[in-house]
Amino acid sequence: MSVNAWLKSQRPLAGTALILTVWLNTANGLLAVAQAWVLAVILDAVIFKSAGLADVQPWLWALLALFGARALIVWFAERSAFEAAASVRATLRDRLHRHLQRLGPSYLSGQRSGALVETLTKGIDDLEGYYARFLPAMTLVMILPLAILTAVMPMDWLAGLVLLFTAPLIPLFMILIGSGAEVRNQRQWKQLARMSAHFLDVIQGLTTLKLFGASRREVAVIARVSDDYRHSTMQVLRVAFLSSAVLEFFASVGIAIVAVLIGFRLYGLAVPVPTWIPIPDVTYLQGFFVLMLAPEFYAPLRNLGTQYHARMGAVAAAEQLIQVLDTQPTQINPGTEPLAATRPLGVRFESVRFSYEPGREALDGLSFEIPPGQRLALVGTSGAGKTTVVNLLLGFLVPTEGRLLIGEQALADIDLEDWRRHLAWVPQQPRLFQGTIADNIRLGRPEADLDAVRKAAQRARAAEFIDALPLGYDSPVGERGAGLSGGQIQRIALARAFLRDAPLVVLDEATANLDPESERLVQEGIDELARDRTLLVIAHRLATVRRADRILVLDRGRIVEQGTHTELAQAGGLYARMIAAHGPRAHRSED
Amino acid sequence: MNELHRLWQLFQPYRTWMLFGTLAAILTLLANVTLIAAAGWFLTAMAAAGVAGVSMNYFTPAALIRGSAMIRTAGRYSERLVNHEATFRLIASLRVWFYQHLEPLAPARLQQYHSGDLLSRIRADIDALDSFYVRVLVPVAVANVSILLFTIFLLFYHPLLALSGLTFLALAGVGLPIWSQARGLAPGRRIAEDEGALRAAVIDGIQGMAELTLYGAAERQAQRIDSLSRRLIADQTRLASDHGLTQAAVGLCASLSLWVLLWIAIPLVDDGRLMPPQLAMLALFTLASFEAVAPLPQAFQMLGRTLAAAHRLFDIVDTEPAVAEPDTPSPRPERFDIEFTDLSFAYPNAPRPALSGIRLQVPQGTRAAVIGATGSGKSTLFNLLLRFWAPDSGRIRIGGHDILDFHGDDLRRHIAVVSQHTHLFDATIRENLLLADPEASQDAIEAACRVAQIHDFIAELPESYDTWVGETGVRLSGGQGRRIAVARALLKDAPILLLDEPTEGLDAATERDLMQALDKLMAGRTVLLITHRPAGLDWVDQVLVLDQGRELARGDVSVIPTAMQAALLPRHTEVEPT
Repeated sequence: MSVNAWLKSQRPLAGTALILTVWLNTANGLLAVAQAWVLAVILDAVIFKSAGLADVQPWLWALLALFGARALIVWFAERSAFEAAASVRATLRDRLHRHLQRLGPSYLSGQRSGALVETLTKGIDDLEGYYARFLPAMTLVMILPLAILTAVMPMDWLAGLVLLFTAPLIPLFMILIGSGAEVRNQRQWKQLARMSAHFLDVIQGLTTLKLFGASRREVAVIARVSDDYRHSTMQVLRVAFLSSAVLEFFASVGIAIVAVLIGFRLYGLAVPVPTWIPIPDVTYLQGFFVLMLAPEFYAPLRNLGTQYHARMGAVAAAEQLIQVLDTQPTQINPGTEPLAATRPLGVRFESVRFSYEPGREALDGLSFEIPPGQRLALVGTSGAGKTTVVNLLLGFLVPTEGRLLIGEQALADIDLEDWRRHLAWVPQQPRLFQGTIADNIRLGRPEADLDAVRKAAQRARAAEFIDALPLGYDSPVGERGAGLSGGQIQRIALARAFLRDAPLVVLDEATANLDPESERLVQEGIDELARDRTLLVIAHRLATVRRADRILVLDRGRIVEQGTHTELAQAGGLYARMIAAHGPRAHRSED
Repeated sequence: MNELHRLWQLFQPYRTWMLFGTLAAILTLLANVTLIAAAGWFLTAMAAAGVAGVSMNYFTPAALIRGSAMIRTAGRYSERLVNHEATFRLIASLRVWFYQHLEPLAPARLQQYHSGDLLSRIRADIDALDSFYVRVLVPVAVANVSILLFTIFLLFYHPLLALSGLTFLALAGVGLPIWSQARGLAPGRRIAEDEGALRAAVIDGIQGMAELTLYGAAERQAQRIDSLSRRLIADQTRLASDHGLTQAAVGLCASLSLWVLLWIAIPLVDDGRLMPPQLAMLALFTLASFEAVAPLPQAFQMLGRTLAAAHRLFDIVDTEPAVAEPDTPSPRPERFDIEFTDLSFAYPNAPRPALSGIRLQVPQGTRAAVIGATGSGKSTLFNLLLRFWAPDSGRIRIGGHDILDFHGDDLRRHIAVVSQHTHLFDATIRENLLLADPEASQDAIEAACRVAQIHDFIAELPESYDTWVGETGVRLSGGQGRRIAVARALLKDAPILLLDEPTEGLDAATERDLMQALDKLMAGRTVLLITHRPAGLDWVDQVLVLDQGRELARGDVSVIPTAMQAALLPRHTEVEPT
């Protein structure tokens, strides 16, 4: 579907407000005709029929009524135009964000979040011009000029013909001038997205820039990016200004010709047209009326010209929207079955292959089982595929080949939302969200009371530092936990997992960033958590995996070894070498 | 209206542009009014002459009409070009201005702000300032000049006409703007805040999607974004409705002005004090003259948003950096030993000090480790040494110079930080590495990556060093990303090396290789390591064990076991912003 067709197809979202806008503007245009007529009558009476104030009084009152009516209509038209666009914007923003959620983290990892943020905020706002201005203008341009022409023709068909023939010139020149404009609009939008993505990246990495003494250098980059945006904006605007100047010029020429033709005839001069054309006579009343209608005739055309640029802005923004909305989730037919297995859950990987791009296998036919209630540890060098295993299990990635079974049910058949209700996960770099510490712990169980939150925090060994904060659990946390140390964030994320009370728990380096003492305490908490639950633990530090029922050693997407700590330590394979590499640390925790 | 004054000052460099823009706008407006009024006069005069059978000079008015039509078209085009060019230049320079004030605040003063909120300031709030120029300054100047001219013009015909014209123009050009400004103030402020909140929520929703989805919180986030979006749109709708109302009211003022004019002028025509063509001319003139005030109500309505934006920008700009830059040039140390003396520091609003009475001397070329549990004050020590915060009391000296005598950038030039917490930028691997040294050769880059145990991995990528990292690039696992960050720090060849848990989250083999490689690199440099793992520190010359911001022990590695025993005693609090 073309961008244009797509934009049009979203029209129903605007509801009746759009139709109302067109009707109100039509009514306003027709009342303008009436107003011109009344005014012409008054002037004609006073100037040529020596009428006094008393004679024209009824007309003056009529004029006042028209003024009032038009003012009301203008107000309502403006409101309904905005409301039409408002409901489209609100609906589309919601839809776009939800679609991003369906596409999931694997899609987002290939995107610049700053650009997506721009699409979701300014991009959606830019649609306003299309629905509030362009669409009504498009309809009105087909109604109002015709209506005015109908009023002008019986008065003076010569002037009517002038209007009729000059009118098409306007869209014609507009198209000629605007032909390169779409590309420029596209470019402008891309510059804007780039600028925003860059700013977000710089803001989030400002401390790093400072560490490298690069934050001042960045001034030049900011200046360049901002200036590029100015250039592309001005390119767009220059076309917009030029085309409205051309519109204005043609409208002026049209009005001038009408004025001359009427003036000449009123004065009694020969009109410079071939003599075989029977020139109609015109009275002052008719002439003045037509002259006042001429600008009204061109107004919808000029307006369309102006709004054409609003349309192009919307098209450029819509292109980004469509790009996202047209992307299909990797799992095209998401599962719908509720999860059948009861706690504790068992998980099985059957010859699972996965590649992020063709030819580069991240997982190469992986088969293993996590029996219900057991604790499985995954170890291996970085890049071995551990995180990929987790992402498959969480449903963020779909296997290229092979399948995952939960109990006896294929994960692909299960409703992912229901599946995730049974999961708790502590990622490598947990993120905290705007809100209080309690809100953050409650992420997976918003209805939990403070007691439950406290209990979870205690088990994650987070209670101590939280209680020490002046506001305790109500302390606001910044983005990425600004104000908290890495270990503290880690423990809040753990508390989150504890509170979730899920039958399957995935811990990805859950005890990294903790000092040995905290690690030992948290480990106790995890042991407690492991009771009656299935656990998948990923760790670099072997101390944290030795308590696992079974250890899987992963290398380049394959399982190279599996067994218990003691078995593997004696097997003399990769695991044994990893223990050796650990040296004193591994021994220390053996105590 | 302090913001107004400060805004005006920001716009000062563009005075000349503004002057030309305003002149062009006035010219355009006058041409337009002339065109319409002259056309009305011309037509009526021609008709009157035709009826009376007298001759008249129609060339002069015809020329006037032609001329003003052309001036109007050309004037409008150039006015828009000049004013928009000036505005966008201004906006671009304001972004740089804002960034220059934002940069010294990181990280200490920016902790309380969400990146989405800051993004909204540098993007949307600065954009909102353009309306001050294009919609407020220029139109107000145009309106003032033209209202004056119009009133004088009407005075030539009749004082009453001038009075009525002035009254309605003032109603539309002063009364309505005052009303709409008052109405726009609160929604404008809310819109500025909500735009920031929306960006923040969208960023949380996008960058934190995995966790939100998994914890079933995605729906709540979607609702939060939707409700912010709808609240924003509701306020915009309120403004749009007011805008519609003022548009209608301006139109009504113009109409009423015409209407009153007819009441006054028709008797004047009867008396012969006004020529009939003048009546037509004045009628059309009145309608056209309101173009001078038509943009004002909306401009003043948007002033609320503009002032809120200005306020949010000045808020950041006025924030004092946590550490003031010295007025004198930075000292040039010849040695790079580090000395902490009686160092104490507490974060604002923290219940207890993060560091108290810390003393440590690290002679040039030696290695020291600071050990402590999470929250013991280790990171604070680095934050102070990097001059991100200033100590409450005590001193830090490098080569005998107090670090407060250094400019921040000059100080940090001497220090490389190896940590896993650094940000990888949305650029290629090479560009991320070059951040440390824009001039670095490929050999230097590769050497640094070898030390960081990441070169082999990068070399295997199809695009090698030109691989796009992305924000959370699919090609990089967590550990790989961290090693690139480590390589970047190594590329910065500085005499002082700060190591912040450089091997956290790496597998044992990589950790061992990295530490061996680092060992070579540390030769001759002053090294300070912070760690929460007391094991495997045989390679350091001295250790400082911290507990809750206090020194627990200091000496060679042999002091660790006893100190750690003490640290196991019950402790209470830890507050340590990173």
